[in-house]
Amino acid sequence: MSTDPNATVANIAILGPEGTPLAFPLAGGVERIAAFMLDMMLLFFIMILAIFGLAFSFTLGSSVLTAIGLVAFFALRHGYFLFFETFLSGSTPGKRVLKLRVLARDGGRLRVEAIVARNLLRDLEFFVPLVVMTSPESLVGPAPWWLRLSAGIWTLVIGAMPLYTRERSRAGDLIAGTIVVGIPQAALIRDESTRSQRGLTFSREELAIYGEHELETLAELLRSVELGRASIEDLRLVALTIQKKIGFEGSEPTRTPDLFLRAFYSAQRADLERRLILGRRKSDKHDAKK
Amino acid sequence: MTTSAALRSTRFREAREKEWAELDAIVDRALSRGLSSLSDEQLERMPMLYRAVVSSLEVARKTTMDRALVAYLDALAARAYLAIYASRRAERGVLARFFAVTFPKRVRSMGAEVGLSTLIFFVGIAVSYILVMMDPSWYFAFVGADLAGERVPGATTETLRHALYERSTDDLDLFASFLFTHNAGIGLMAFALGFAAGIPTALLVFTNGLMLGAFLALYAQHGLLMNLLGWLLPHGIPEMLAIVLCGAAGFHVARAMLWPGERSTRDALVFAGRRASTVVTGCVLLFAIAGVIEGIFRQTVVDDFARGMLATLNVLWLVAWIVLSGLGVKDDLDEH
Repeated sequence: MSTDPNATVANIAILGPEGTPLAFPLAGGVERIAAFMLDMMLLFFIMILAIFGLAFSFTLGSSVLTAIGLVAFFALRHGYFLFFETFLSGSTPGKRVLKLRVLARDGGRLRVEAIVARNLLRDLEFFVPLVVMTSPESLVGPAPWWLRLSAGIWTLVIGAMPLYTRERSRAGDLIAGTIVVGIPQAALIRDESTRSQRGLTFSREELAIYGEHELETLAELLRSVELGRASIEDLRLVALTIQKKIGFEGSEPTRTPDLFLRAFYSAQRADLERRLILGRRKSDKHDAKK
Repeated sequence: MTTSAALRSTRFREAREKEWAELDAIVDRALSRGLSSLSDEQLERMPMLYRAVVSSLEVARKTTMDRALVAYLDALAARAYLAIYASRRAERGVLARFFAVTFPKRVRSMGAEVGLSTLIFFVGIAVSYILVMMDPSWYFAFVGADLAGERVPGATTETLRHALYERSTDDLDLFASFLFTHNAGIGLMAFALGFAAGIPTALLVFTNGLMLGAFLALYAQHGLLMNLLGWLLPHGIPEMLAIVLCGAAGFHVARAMLWPGERSTRDALVFAGRRASTVVTGCVLLFAIAGVIEGIFRQTVVDDFARGMLATLNVLWLVAWIVLSGLGVKDDLDEH
């Protein structure tokens, strides 16, 4: 379940305009760096193409070419992410490959001004720390050592923000109120209760032993049998354990453990769903609430 | 208690499964190939199906023990949300509205920051002006040798005058685009540095003021102050305004960070960031205008009167635009 706190991917809830919280997997740090690298490579490639394109336009004078080149360079550098995130619904080619999307944190539509804001800070977060680390004198000039040091630390603190913020926000995300998420994958698994047969009945007392956690474990077991990841022997073992626990009398658990377990699953689910509707959840077998 | 082959939650699922699958297919297409790849009918049905799935999700969360189903609806609703809300709504007249309403309004909304930024800029001018007037050797502390060229203390009045009225025809377009990209880069950085609590922004605005003050002092010592202003102001008006506004945008962000007021820091930052980024976007246009005037007009028009006229004209339209435009129209950001 996507809201399971034990899930390996951190999830983030966005309150959609309908007032329903929607769960998104938070984009991983590695994925985001990979997407950024891809974008930088593509941007570099486009710039080289632009340079060649201009160099072959012999009809124009060389100063005009350089002039166009300068403006094109500026537009590409500051406009690449802005353009794609605006027209590719919150993604760039790199983000597309990694299946990432930019969302408005408040659940509303992703606005252009938010995209502008998050991308205006890219220079500060990436290039400035890079320059500070490699050649600080080109940025702060012949500054005293303490000024360089504090400027260096400061820019690193800002550049490294995704590493220590809760939602892996970079400075641009904080200022724009955006968040980068992965696209959730959806596949509808068959309902395990549809294959149960009539016949076996369980009493309320028998069904009061287990809770939601055990029910879900059982559903997963039934699914893994179908996928060939568990054998009929595994089912028999579980069926016998359940029989012993709830004090079920009959030979079904030994003879047809799969039919028994399916019937028990359906009955248990019906009982837990009835409790759920009445507002009396039973999370697992240790949950003593009636 | 008897078991039933069809639980209530199973019937719920069976009744709606087809709708979910339909939305699933539409959303798959929209996410991989964009909204434009959808047919009119699919476009029409998507929001409706989305709302149906969201309500199914709400019901499922409260009634079913089939976790696989809840997980599926969770993911489907989230995917549909991405397809619907992360995409751009084609809006008409966004650009016109931006220049007529949004930009001037948001500049006005950060009056205190604009005041602070202007003050720092003018203090920078005053400091270097006074220092250079007292001792011309200060000049090199503020103006780099490459920028100064022939315009250095000790140069003859004739050299300095010549620099102002030299008619250049070479590479004007190159000069204009260099000036634009260089200055706009400084402006964008002034804004971004607002995130570093605004101190670097103040330094950037201040040093720009220092540079200007030193130039003014150098020419004033030779009695050429008015001539310099004629050379400087036509492009200097939009350029200085843009620098000051970018600084103000940086301060606006810094202010939200340090003194968020009633909102949480996080919300205040977002509110200020979106506002400030609008102002910076408008400034890029100002830098472009300044670049064209500086690179082309300044080098070809050497008549003091024409220069004065253009400077005056620039002051008039900029003031009118920022002070008057969009008065009485609501800024859509204020609704949030």
